Amino acid sequence: MQNLGRNLRAMLLAATAMAAPALAPAAFAAGTLTVTLVQDPGSWDPIDTFLVNWAKVGNNVFDGLVQRGPDMKLAPGLATSWEQSEDGKRIRFKLRENVKFHNGEPFDAEAVRFTFERLLGAEGAKGPQQSNYNAIDKVEVVDATTVDFLLKNPDPVLITKLAGYGGMIVPPKYIQEKGDEYFNTHPVGTGPFKVVDYQPKVSVTLEPFAEHWGGKPKLDKVVFRFIAEPSTQVAELQAGRVDIVTDPLPISAIPIVNSDPRLKVESITGPTVQALRFNTRTGITKDETVRKALIMAVDRDAIIKQMLGGQAKPIASFQSELSFGYDPALKPLPFDPAKAKQLLAQAGVKPGAAVQIDFRGSDANFREAAQAVAGYLQAVGIKSILKPYETNVILNEIIPAGKTGEMFQQGWGGWTFDYDNTAYLMYHSGEKWNPYDNIPELNALLESQRSMTDRSKREKVLQEIGRVVADKALEMPLYNLNAVYGVSKRVKNFVAPPDSRLRLTDVTVD
Amino acid sequence: MAGFLVKRILQAVFVVLVVTLLVAWAIRLSGDPAIMLTQGAGSFTEQDLQNIRKALGLDQPFTVQYLQFITGVVTGDFGKSFFGGTSVGSLIAHALPLTLLLALTSLALAVAMSIPLGIHAAVNRGKAADTGIRILSLVGLSFPNFWLAIMMVLTFSITLGWLPPSGAEEPANIVMPALTMGVILTATNVRLVRTSMLETLSAQYIMVARSKGLKERVVLYKHALRNCAIPLITYIGLQFGGLIGGIVVIERVFNWPGMGSLAFDAVAARDYPVLQGVITVLALLIVAANLLVDIVYGLVDPRIRTE
Amino acid sequence: MSTVEIEAPGTVRIWLRRLRSLEFILGAVLTVAMIGLVLASGLIFPDGGDAMDLTARLTPPFQSWAHPLGTDPLGRDVLARVVVGGKISLTVGFLSVLGAVVVGTVMGLVAGYYRGVWDMILMRFADVQLALPFILLAITFTAILGADLWNLILFMIIAQWVQYARVMRASVLSLRDREFIQSARSFGVRDLRILLHHILPNAYGPVLILMTLNVANNILLESSLTFLGLGVDPMIPSWGGMLADGRSYLQTAWWVSVFPGLAIMLTVLGLNLLGDWLRDFLDPTSKA
Repeated sequence: MQNLGRNLRAMLLAATAMAAPALAPAAFAAGTLTVTLVQDPGSWDPIDTFLVNWAKVGNNVFDGLVQRGPDMKLAPGLATSWEQSEDGKRIRFKLRENVKFHNGEPFDAEAVRFTFERLLGAEGAKGPQQSNYNAIDKVEVVDATTVDFLLKNPDPVLITKLAGYGGMIVPPKYIQEKGDEYFNTHPVGTGPFKVVDYQPKVSVTLEPFAEHWGGKPKLDKVVFRFIAEPSTQVAELQAGRVDIVTDPLPISAIPIVNSDPRLKVESITGPTVQALRFNTRTGITKDETVRKALIMAVDRDAIIKQMLGGQAKPIASFQSELSFGYDPALKPLPFDPAKAKQLLAQAGVKPGAAVQIDFRGSDANFREAAQAVAGYLQAVGIKSILKPYETNVILNEIIPAGKTGEMFQQGWGGWTFDYDNTAYLMYHSGEKWNPYDNIPELNALLESQRSMTDRSKREKVLQEIGRVVADKALEMPLYNLNAVYGVSKRVKNFVAPPDSRLRLTDVTVD
Repeated sequence: MAGFLVKRILQAVFVVLVVTLLVAWAIRLSGDPAIMLTQGAGSFTEQDLQNIRKALGLDQPFTVQYLQFITGVVTGDFGKSFFGGTSVGSLIAHALPLTLLLALTSLALAVAMSIPLGIHAAVNRGKAADTGIRILSLVGLSFPNFWLAIMMVLTFSITLGWLPPSGAEEPANIVMPALTMGVILTATNVRLVRTSMLETLSAQYIMVARSKGLKERVVLYKHALRNCAIPLITYIGLQFGGLIGGIVVIERVFNWPGMGSLAFDAVAARDYPVLQGVITVLALLIVAANLLVDIVYGLVDPRIRTE
Repeated sequence: MSTVEIEAPGTVRIWLRRLRSLEFILGAVLTVAMIGLVLASGLIFPDGGDAMDLTARLTPPFQSWAHPLGTDPLGRDVLARVVVGGKISLTVGFLSVLGAVVVGTVMGLVAGYYRGVWDMILMRFADVQLALPFILLAITFTAILGADLWNLILFMIIAQWVQYARVMRASVLSLRDREFIQSARSFGVRDLRILLHHILPNAYGPVLILMTLNVANNILLESSLTFLGLGVDPMIPSWGGMLADGRSYLQTAWWVSVFPGLAIMLTVLGLNLLGDWLRDFLDPTSKA
């Protein structure tokens, strides 16, 4: 007995000794902001990835020719002005002068040409960015501060695309000297912050770039920590060791953050839309009447209000209200279970008929939403089988090959906020996300708007596309989820960007 | 002894080879990394995908890819991650020490807790203390590990504010993950200590030691414990493999950037070189641990060599 | 590995004494109660715990008879889902073990009895399996086949049959040269008959112990895999799924995951107690 007592005492002592350093409340270095990222992109080269977690960092390290802030308006970036030719096939950019990269290399027209030749050449072919900029034929240097973009065909969304991702300008000398691989982990741009330390899978640390053309950022340091498990991110925020949990803060964490006097929720309409697309080839969803009945059976407003804590908006087409092509006049089908039952009976669907719903299992919010949909369908006599897939599998094998159940999750967060960027891939025949439908009317509309330079004419066509899709009930539109951030109140001047692309120039911490 | 050693080492090499082959083959069944690399991209064609595959060397036949990988392993080069081209060797060099630290700390914790508890139970065989310890150890085995981990975070980080919830930057970071795994390991080890102690205590030399008037503590901890060390060492050697596997969940909850996290992310991203590297290194470790146990055993007990 | 001798008759008293142990009583009561509840779940909750009511989401427990243990984020009754959810957990636990035992026993018998090539193949298999980190294997496996109940069970069988084969082989090795087997062989009894009638009945003990422990283990494993996002259809209630999905509500609605957690704990505890008792019972030396 004595032995045990002695041993236990020793163990307790040891445990306290280990815990001691942490007993003092976590003290923050002045001016250091800590932000969570759910995933490490692995490479910081703009042309290697297309991940929102890249952009949260990359948007601070790099600049594009144009800029788009939290207000979603395009503004001058590394180019001070630009003009487009009549036929839309040539854009001339006037470049900002006296701009330097973090390594001291000057920014000029040559850097722009190098950036886009690299993007459109062999190096770009290895990554996902190239295909987005295929409209560009070549970039010509006019003089040191002027470049011409010559296009194969007009691309109405191109200017927006130059504000981020693959359009970010990179330093030619640095890359030629150090090589592409070195650049992946030691990125250099012209942005307001420079990367000073990168620990793969752990963190990436930024410090302000004093010579930035927009002025020196106010923070002393920004640390991005990679934390995969959402509940761990929230725990770190509560423990005061993290200042911002970036979008998406799990809906279930909103009450936790709200009830903590040191924290707040920042929420703004974002681009993320969720829908359940129908399999129009097989099963009961072949029938348009049945599809409409299923849409009417589900109370999407209740899902938004009760389950998503109001952090979403109902949608009638597959886009957010911020998107170009959004039609406020288009209303979703109403929630009407009685009518739904009647339509189902009319279509000859017997109670107890089954639908399979395929979705991404890792998406905690959608996991609940899918169960709610299944619950509503059950109320009109339709049995649902929910099938969670790994993200890669459903995107790679199930949807493109047309191997889905009667319904499958389509989640989209197009950062360009242009309906074309979604609609073409979703509804044009032969596209990857459109395994079932081939509707000539939609194909024609989608093709026609691509060459239009008249904005209002193009907007009309995009709205028409939304109407045709709703009319044929190709999908059950669910909601447009807000971009939700958990933020410590010591963070000042943080404006939540709808597209997750943080720019931390003006942010300060107490 | 030499013959036994050579045979066991050859077997070990064979095992590691089969493991690498299995993993290389399975991960290639699981999906296409080219698609992962295009994630979020607007439109891309089959040609784009083929470009990416070619750049990654995935257009080669499986045998060529596998041989390249194995040649790399022999020369100590595990290749590069598909995502960013960081060398797999350097990723492992960062993750492995952390995983080993966590595994060994939990093991040490488990040994430190289970030996006194096990001995205490054995000495008080059949009494309330014995039953209590036995049932308590079973309770320790009845929790899912992630549940225990999250409960610890809620208690020690959020309610009490004593420990950091996650990461691996400061010494305090290791307390909760090691404790979570330690508790579960203790639960199994206590029973082992108790059983082998019971057998030892009835042995003649213990009676002799006692009759010589040695202090009970000396008898238990010096004479008896030494004798039940062998089954304990064996078991710990075997546990090591299970420990490494179970670490995935713990590493995820506590955001511990070890081998488990590395492997988990690699499967999700279809990052073949990383997964192959991690599994190969882990398999080497486990096989080495078992080999070591065998050798210790062979030294202690010559009969085993002939089996 | 010790062997099992058939108990001599007339030891009723010893039997009774062993049955009276706290472990056995506690273990048996817990296991029988849990299995009974799960078997009767269809009668108690005919709707299967599926009835959803978003307006009543996250109702706290112990407040109304309608939802004695509260409701989950979709407004479904937690009590009903815990009771019904046991079906999946127990199915996974028992079927996976049963499958692994059948495969493992056959392989172990053959390898132990015939030795030679069979034995060598089996032992190398075992080495390989020992060197593969279990959960990582599971993750890769579900990445290929997709997550569903049967894949989960199939995977556990593939991962665990070797354990039984090893244990069985060890038992067979210690038996095959014993006199009664030798004499049976010399009388020309066929191998199959020897294996089934003489070796198997004397070698099942350690396998039985391993079984109870693995049923418990696999119930826990199901919840761990669900935690990693590899679980079964979320519409089908399962303890592991409820526990994993409820973890993000722990701070605001503890009951969503605490009750399924409790169900897992009690069931696993019951099975472990039984396994423990069985070990002492079949291997009296360890009790001394």
